[in-house]
Amino acid sequence: MIEVRNISKRLPDGRKVLDNISFSVGKGEFVGILGASGAGKTLTLRCLNGLLKPDSGAILMKDASGQVQDICKVSRIRLRKLRQKIGVIFQGYHLVKRLTALDNVLIGRLGQISTFRSLFYGFTDEEAEMASQALEQVKIPQLAGTRVNSLSGGEMQRVAIARAIFQSPNLLLADEPISNLDPSNAKVIMKLIRPLSEFMPVIGVFHQPEMTARYCTRVIAIKEGRIIYDGDPKLSQDQLIDIYGEELRQIENARP
Amino acid sequence: MNGRSFSGKRYRKWVMPVLLLAILAEAAALVCGVRLGSLGKSFISGFSFLAGAIPPDWGAFPELLRPALESVVIALTGTLVGTLVSLLFGLAAASNISPAWLKQTTRLLLGMERSLPEIVILLFLVAAFGLGPFAGVLALTIGCVGMLGKLIGDAIEEIDPVTVESIQAVGAGKLQVMVFGIVQQIIPSVISFALFRFELSIRLSIVLGAVGAGGIGLELYRSFYLLDYHRACSALIVTLVMVLATERLSAFLRKKVRKEGALR
Repeated sequence: MIEVRNISKRLPDGRKVLDNISFSVGKGEFVGILGASGAGKTLTLRCLNGLLKPDSGAILMKDASGQVQDICKVSRIRLRKLRQKIGVIFQGYHLVKRLTALDNVLIGRLGQISTFRSLFYGFTDEEAEMASQALEQVKIPQLAGTRVNSLSGGEMQRVAIARAIFQSPNLLLADEPISNLDPSNAKVIMKLIRPLSEFMPVIGVFHQPEMTARYCTRVIAIKEGRIIYDGDPKLSQDQLIDIYGEELRQIENARP
Repeated sequence: MNGRSFSGKRYRKWVMPVLLLAILAEAAALVCGVRLGSLGKSFISGFSFLAGAIPPDWGAFPELLRPALESVVIALTGTLVGTLVSLLFGLAAASNISPAWLKQTTRLLLGMERSLPEIVILLFLVAAFGLGPFAGVLALTIGCVGMLGKLIGDAIEEIDPVTVESIQAVGAGKLQVMVFGIVQQIIPSVISFALFRFELSIRLSIVLGAVGAGGIGLELYRSFYLLDYHRACSALIVTLVMVLATERLSAFLRKKVRKEGALR
């Protein structure tokens, strides 16, 4: 369970990019955040794992020991502890390119082992076994020993999901995980992410309303830093125009 | 060509400068006491020296192997230690990870080092530590840091920041982020820089050897000094083979790094 309470954020130039955002997501939910470019979707997501600090408001979640913490106010060490239990899948392919798929999955638990052990690749056989199981879960066990820079986009995104699975988080965040993928690969990734919501809240930022309608359990729409919709993932044409602006109507009308 | 080509413009552009240059050369020769005739004579005696150096002293080759190896070891040690130290300086010199004051100070230090030729550094070090390979290794290490520190710093400024964030996002500590997020991204560049620097160090180690660092450079210098030109010729051949071999090896390895991202 994660609860976001009235977070706001201003840029140094005074522009308000997040305005009083509040929502909460529980286990079993797969929430898709929609919105035009620059609406504040990614900023919201970055707040959720502490990569960005909002000016006001609170983001409450349980840490590894079950205590409720506000990620906006915790110390650096506590923040690290919280992050150990937050899986993140980034937009694009930001894995460590020189390492193998398996090594990249193992990185998911970097925060959970000592620095000394990690620097000398001290992952145990059990951990390596669990990491290979995560790769099996995303259906690429045969690529475990392959270096990531020779994988395709879809395969890299699967490795990222496997990393999140191996991390065994309490919360999964995904920042436009299917933006750079072709439609069939995008479906595969959505199908891999959805079942994870059985075990933890999953929050993703998307640009594809048809995908969120099909795979998400709930949609939150953000416009100019404010939530303008929170509910059923199936949106009507008018609601979409509300979110993306009048240009969408013109495009739709232009279609034969 | 017609009469018009002997215009004033052409005269100013060509004839005057050539005349001036000739006068200047003659004046310089007069001041330095050089005579054209003696120049020609020395030219011939210069070539006759070459004839005196051939054939090389075949017997000297076995005993030249050890100093040659010494030169390689000096260059290799200097480059290896230098690269490791450069890594630290590179991290400090990168604006995206170190504070402004540290970056500025480091870049200033590296710039200062680069403005000193290795041979000058060696002269200082020889004064401090005495003649021998240690001063040579140290001079090459310092020279290596001045060059690679800046290059590595620049390479770090161009890494993918999101990959670094993705390591932070799993709760990794500072050192872990540095190793898995930053160093992993620059390893291919660092290897390539180090190999290039090694080529340079080999050539430098010969010059430094003559000044007092030992190795094949010293042999070369000593043979000339003792007018043993046959032996000098042998040392020259050993040097040539050494430099060419390291260049080939380094080119081969760098190509491999480029193709595969790293050596594995």
